[in-house]
Amino acid sequence: MDERLYDLIFILLPATPEEEIDKLIATLQQTATERGGTVEKTEKWGTRRLAYRVAKNREGYYVYLVLRSSNNEMVKELERRLKVADAVIKFQTIRLDEELKRQKKLVQRRERRASRRPRKPAAAPSAPSAPPSAPAPEPAAAAS
Amino acid sequence: MMDDPTSGQGAGPAGTPPANDAPAPAAPSAPAAPSAPAAPSRPSGSGGGFGGGRSGSSHGGGGSHGGSHGGGGGRPGGGGGGGGSHGPRREGGGPGGGGPGGGPGGPRRGKRQYFRKKKVCRFCVERVDFIDYKKAEMLQPFVQERGKILPRRITGTCSRHQRWLGEAIKRARNIALLPFATEL
Repeated sequence: MDERLYDLIFILLPATPEEEIDKLIATLQQTATERGGTVEKTEKWGTRRLAYRVAKNREGYYVYLVLRSSNNEMVKELERRLKVADAVIKFQTIRLDEELKRQKKLVQRRERRASRRPRKPAAAPSAPSAPPSAPAPEPAAAAS
Repeated sequence: MMDDPTSGQGAGPAGTPPANDAPAPAAPSAPAAPSAPAAPSRPSGSGGGFGGGRSGSSHGGGGSHGGSHGGGGGRPGGGGGGGGSHGPRREGGGPGGGGPGGGPGGPRRGKRQYFRKKKVCRFCVERVDFIDYKKAEMLQPFVQERGKILPRRITGTCSRHQRWLGEAIKRARNIALLPFATEL
């Protein structure tokens, strides 16, 4: 099975002490590696306003992880742990690899088209939409 | 010939303030004396003959949002521009009554008067291949204040990007970055 990429976001009670958050992240990291996955990125977004009340809270501490694994058991176990943790009020895992694959395909196609273009204008320079597309692909790829 | 000026009045209220009211009705009424009954019935019935189905539908949308978009007719007149989705939302919008009375952009007459500015998909312009659900601020312009996803006809998003956008908004909602519905 090929590797899959996941986004995992969870929200903690805003009153959770910092060391407890770090501890939770560490245990999650450990369980991920135990189940054959890797944590590619860990981001603490800090306390943010929630768009709606969650467990009677209007604010929450956001933590964002990027995981890579070929073992779906990893996600199951991580979610189980999050469910059990008292401080966690909400979590969401999203599988992203297919969308990234799609994105890559689009970028590639655009690049291919852009690389094909330079020959064309010599024959038909009147095509107006051709020139701007040539330099654009790189910034778009970097931004997304 | 008579149809055009009348539908124009229906289409361009928001772009021009009611100040233009005075000259507008005066202009058509003078030459249109014989066909006066036909004139008012046109815009109200078909929602602006020239704007076509699109114009009519955006009219309906505006109405259902509690008038926040004003008369749908405002779009072809004012809207457009870079502000894509901001335009329709913030626009004061001509009141319902202003619709039939509103002046057409200027004294110019003819078919092109109510030419609606073509809305361009913002994501296509920026060549977005993936709409990130984590950037709630970026999704904000595509939802109403109450949290509803704005329809394509208002924002001008292309179908593919609207699909991705809807998905991103729903994901953001699930993790409390965007509201499902604003509670009071």
